[in-house]
Amino acid sequence: MAQQKKGPVFAIFFCQQLDARQDINRRCLEKEFGSHIRFFPIPCSGRIEPLHLLKAIESGADMAYLLTCGEGDCRYGEGNIRAKKRVNYAQGLIEEIGLERKRIVLISKKIDAPVSIDILVREAIAGNDMLPIQWNGHNLQVDD
Amino acid sequence: MPGRYHIHTKVVPNRFPAITRSGVIAWEEGCLKCARCVKKDCVYKVYEKRGLDTRQMLDSLDSMCKDCFRCVQNCPNRLIHKGINPVYRALGDSYWTPEIISSLWFQAETGRIPVSGGGYGGPFSGKGFDAMWTDMSEIVRPTRDGIHGREYISTTVDIGRKLMALEFAPDGGLISQIPPLIEIPLPIMFDILPWSPPDDKIIKAFLHGARSLGTFVCIEESYLQHDMEEFLSHIILLIEGIPHHRDKGFFQMLRMVEIPDSGETKALQEWLKEINSELIVMVKLPLSAEAPERVFQLATDGVEVIHLVADEYGMEWGGNPFFIADRMKDIHLFLVEKGIRDQVTLIGGGGIAMAEHMAKLIICGADAVTIDIPLLVAMECRVCRRCKEGIPCPVELEGIDPLWGAMRITNLIGGWHNQLLEILGAVGMREVRRLRGEMGRSMFFEELEQEFFATMGNSR
Repeated sequence: MAQQKKGPVFAIFFCQQLDARQDINRRCLEKEFGSHIRFFPIPCSGRIEPLHLLKAIESGADMAYLLTCGEGDCRYGEGNIRAKKRVNYAQGLIEEIGLERKRIVLISKKIDAPVSIDILVREAIAGNDMLPIQWNGHNLQVDD
Repeated sequence: MPGRYHIHTKVVPNRFPAITRSGVIAWEEGCLKCARCVKKDCVYKVYEKRGLDTRQMLDSLDSMCKDCFRCVQNCPNRLIHKGINPVYRALGDSYWTPEIISSLWFQAETGRIPVSGGGYGGPFSGKGFDAMWTDMSEIVRPTRDGIHGREYISTTVDIGRKLMALEFAPDGGLISQIPPLIEIPLPIMFDILPWSPPDDKIIKAFLHGARSLGTFVCIEESYLQHDMEEFLSHIILLIEGIPHHRDKGFFQMLRMVEIPDSGETKALQEWLKEINSELIVMVKLPLSAEAPERVFQLATDGVEVIHLVADEYGMEWGGNPFFIADRMKDIHLFLVEKGIRDQVTLIGGGGIAMAEHMAKLIICGADAVTIDIPLLVAMECRVCRRCKEGIPCPVELEGIDPLWGAMRITNLIGGWHNQLLEILGAVGMREVRRLRGEMGRSMFFEELEQEFFATMGNSR
């Protein structure tokens, strides 16, 4: 079995437009992080609902990221603009229950050249300084 | 008259929501708050029954939607779209396509033949099995009251060596020694998987499935566990050499053994036959350009069954590889020319992904086929091959309930069996044994193209 890193659990939602080879490119991260990372490709970032982000955190993720294409790049017109509003709404909801807003992160990437999802995600989680969520003093269970 | 073979199927639900070809993208922003929202008018009530599978973050909208596009067309502010699902597009590869995988899932879930009702929209020829067509010009005859009608269509095949003639003594006594023969009710056996997650439960699902279907599962000797011994009559045990740690009584309980083709093949076959003369010994031979000569040699040496294997894409090994169907044709015709085709049983495996592939390989000369990856797909495998790289299986195949897996396999094979009956009916045959090598019931695209364009000076 792949060697797995310890630390926060990441849920990565991302727009399919970002990387056509996402299923192949994300495997090195899946191998490295094991059950500490989960990828959820979506047809358009505008498909995301606050419920998806909240459910990800409820199900054990410490950080939920949404990676979208840059404004003006959405093939459905305004998907990424709408996604931004929903992320803001979800951030407000987790703040109300005492979690930090920055546990839900939106990253927009202007698509000028082909990007690899693993590079994008590495860049995103490299800047993370959040620790695993303490629920009633206990961390959620993760298969280590 | 023996009873009809029938596979009983029932709906076996998925553990994970099925991945669908398209996804609904429905935005709330900009909603005109119509008095009657198009979402309320959905005939399948997908918006009302909406739910979220948190393991995969899959919205039930996608799996319940039947692509009628009513909501997409009727929303006055165009807030509902449908887009290609990226997870669907990432299923499998260029051979094990998302369409094949989702069709196998449907069959494993329902046991029914996948019928879209929308006609066939794909190309009329392609590579591999798509380069041959079955000739269904007899479709009016035996199928007049359906595949389960009055005229029984048999899918039984014989596995073993056959005598070309019986010899009798002057007193009428039989001199010929009758070789052992096994009848299986359908021309499908289960092969060793090319890759899989930890597979204890998967193999047990195969064993339960094979027992209920009346067929065989090939298992490596080192994988055999004590609790599998109740299935010995449905196991083809693959042994690499003489297994000294097994007592001879063990081999008397087996019906079939497989040995790899090597310099030891003859000695190993004789050793096994000495212990159990009723045992059928199958020789596993990787397909290559040398296969026709080697098959001929093995057949003249007295081998009963030859298992010809290609890789998971149906390609043989070696430089300039042939597709399994083309090489099977070569081997079959070579044995016909030598006059020994009927003595030996040929089983082909590798790259069989659909029911039609099974029928096509039989038309090319195989007596029966072995399948592997479709059995995993029946248990929701996505053919992502993450298990090969040591990444956890996204559908947790290692944790399946073997009985659930067996029922899914039974459903899949039930669907394939019905499709085989449809093909046999449509080509005007009442038993699959007659389909073997019946190339007159098929058309090969390359041959047709050559024939057609030759008059125009095209030598392609």
